[in-house]
Amino acid sequence: MFNILVYGAVTSAIYAMLAVGFTLIFGVARILNLAHGAFYGLGAYAAYVLTSQLHWPLLPAAVAAVAFVAVFGAVMERVLVRPLRGSGLAVLMITLAVALLFEQGMFILFGSEARNVPAFITATWTYSGLDISGQRLLTLGAGIGVLALLYLFIQRTRLGTAILAISQDPEGAQYMGIPANRMYSVVMGLSAAIAATAGVLTAPFLTVQPTMDLLPMVKAFAIVIVGGLGSIPGSILAALLLGYSETIVAYTFSPAWTEIVSLIAVLLTLILRPAGLLGKRAAF
Amino acid sequence: MRGVFTSVAALALAALGGASLALADEKPIVIGATTPIQVQVGRDTVDALQLAIDEINGKGGVLGRKLKLAVADETMDPQQGVAAIKKLTADEHVDVLIGGYSSGVTLAEEPHIAEAKTIYLDVGSASPSITDFVKKSYKRYKYVFRVNPINAPRQADQLVGFTTGKLKSELGYNTMAIVGENAKWVQDLAPVLKAGMEKGGIKVPMMELFDPDMSDFSPLLSKIKESGAQYLIVILSHANSDVFVKQWYDAKFPMPIGGIDVKGQDPDFFQRIGGKAIAETVSLGMLAEPVTPKTMPFWNGFTGKYHRPPVYTAPGAYDALYIYTEAVARAKSTDPDKVIPELEKTKYLGTQGTYEFDQQHDVKPGPGLINLLFVQWQDGGKRVIVWPKEQANGKMISPPWINQRAEAK
Repeated sequence: MFNILVYGAVTSAIYAMLAVGFTLIFGVARILNLAHGAFYGLGAYAAYVLTSQLHWPLLPAAVAAVAFVAVFGAVMERVLVRPLRGSGLAVLMITLAVALLFEQGMFILFGSEARNVPAFITATWTYSGLDISGQRLLTLGAGIGVLALLYLFIQRTRLGTAILAISQDPEGAQYMGIPANRMYSVVMGLSAAIAATAGVLTAPFLTVQPTMDLLPMVKAFAIVIVGGLGSIPGSILAALLLGYSETIVAYTFSPAWTEIVSLIAVLLTLILRPAGLLGKRAAF
Repeated sequence: MRGVFTSVAALALAALGGASLALADEKPIVIGATTPIQVQVGRDTVDALQLAIDEINGKGGVLGRKLKLAVADETMDPQQGVAAIKKLTADEHVDVLIGGYSSGVTLAEEPHIAEAKTIYLDVGSASPSITDFVKKSYKRYKYVFRVNPINAPRQADQLVGFTTGKLKSELGYNTMAIVGENAKWVQDLAPVLKAGMEKGGIKVPMMELFDPDMSDFSPLLSKIKESGAQYLIVILSHANSDVFVKQWYDAKFPMPIGGIDVKGQDPDFFQRIGGKAIAETVSLGMLAEPVTPKTMPFWNGFTGKYHRPPVYTAPGAYDALYIYTEAVARAKSTDPDKVIPELEKTKYLGTQGTYEFDQQHDVKPGPGLINLLFVQWQDGGKRVIVWPKEQANGKMISPPWINQRAEAK
């Protein structure tokens, strides 16, 4: 019981970090970014290169990895997405191309073997018969921290308010002098940074491989559909829902059944409540 | 004038024709490597073949003909595997195919190998179904041989030997859990292993196969812990054993692990996962130990040329090529119908032991033939042979968080 509580929380925190960025860029710029999983993977690989190949200390390496991916995201928006923004389909294709480019690039550069990123915390805690690694607890804590910071940023800063304004009424916001295009770049960078944070934090205990971007992408997609595309609170709620359902299924039935949970949730949502739990209108 | 031209041209043509006839006799024997070249097992297959080719060509080749390598990437996708076979047989006209890693891919390729009537030497896939074809329809599938590794149920037999002979009799482990990836070769291996262990007096409270794509093993580990086992037997090849072993270590999991872990055989495995493979015991076909007089020359040749130690497909591919060329030399031909009877008579002392094939073209295991070594990762990434007894060169250790068990004599 206790292990479900703890592991469910860790899984939910990872899912929430993956999903908020994905839903943010959709909510603000209407960009369905299929390269979101690549941000996650790029964060992990950047941390690998900096720690294992360039022998940086862990903390600066992690910060640099996240910053690198944030810049990558912003540049990607400016150079690849913005010229095509007129067509939703073209945006979908170009972001998919970035995702495939990531996979193939990692294949060529690092081969298909899994890579190792050292853990921030190597200690293991034991509490009422459950051993949990410090890195997982750190991921949980950092996940909560990132979400809290995101909330404060959007609610309390001028930049955040501007982003909120654009998401509510892009035209009105532009009349008020908010530079929409620049905001889109900022949001893409932010969304990439959050995904990369998840990648850096989970790399020590999950896998770092060229195909690592696919599953997080699928999960992020499932969560935002269940939570409502564009709704950040909806994503967090859905992340908790899926994180815990999967953990319960894994512990009480079999780990082999977990992947089907999110797919069933997506199907049920699309049939019963197409707008998602907290979405205002159906996105599709 | 015109007449002179035509006759000169005719002469030239005749000369060219003669030359090409003479060349045809010295056409190289083409060795087709079909393997996933993105991963170490595949790269080592190709590199070991090249090493053997260079050695054989250095001694003048076979039947006066040089050897030449053609490579196709079969990936781990059955469709790509079939495409690789077609490329090598239809486009490159290879004389022999050597390779294989994923049993699912090899099984998909087999009908196409039979169709192309080209000899195929498996050096990486372990499912017994691969050579079952030879038994079922000899006429059609006689082209298929497995040189390496010994097949899955036979690996299970050797694993039974390790669990009952070493873990139970010498170290006193009585209860063991078995987990493996859900793949064809494990489905073939696990039931044989469980039955053998139970027959040897070991309790097996849990046996579970999981999805090879799984990356978070904590629910699985917690289930294994609840099973009450004292030792965890793993059967992994395609699964992410880097992550599995890391999570086992990070959780200070209360039982040691060992078994078949193909990624755990990689020479850089220990260092790659930050030393967390400490005390894991994995089966291995060869190590830098003089198992036969040919082991060390191969090992030194490979590491000298490629600056890395070989994985299990490398000695397999290297020996497979020698087995093939010796059969060709005896048959005095590369015609499969003449070479196959010679291959069936193989008794070849290679780098891992003596190779002989059984009736369905599968390599025979056993003392004096091909044997698995059980090798433990110890401090600093050293590899120590702990089983079989005759070849052991050190004592088995426990993971640092588990009390050391004394070895009973």
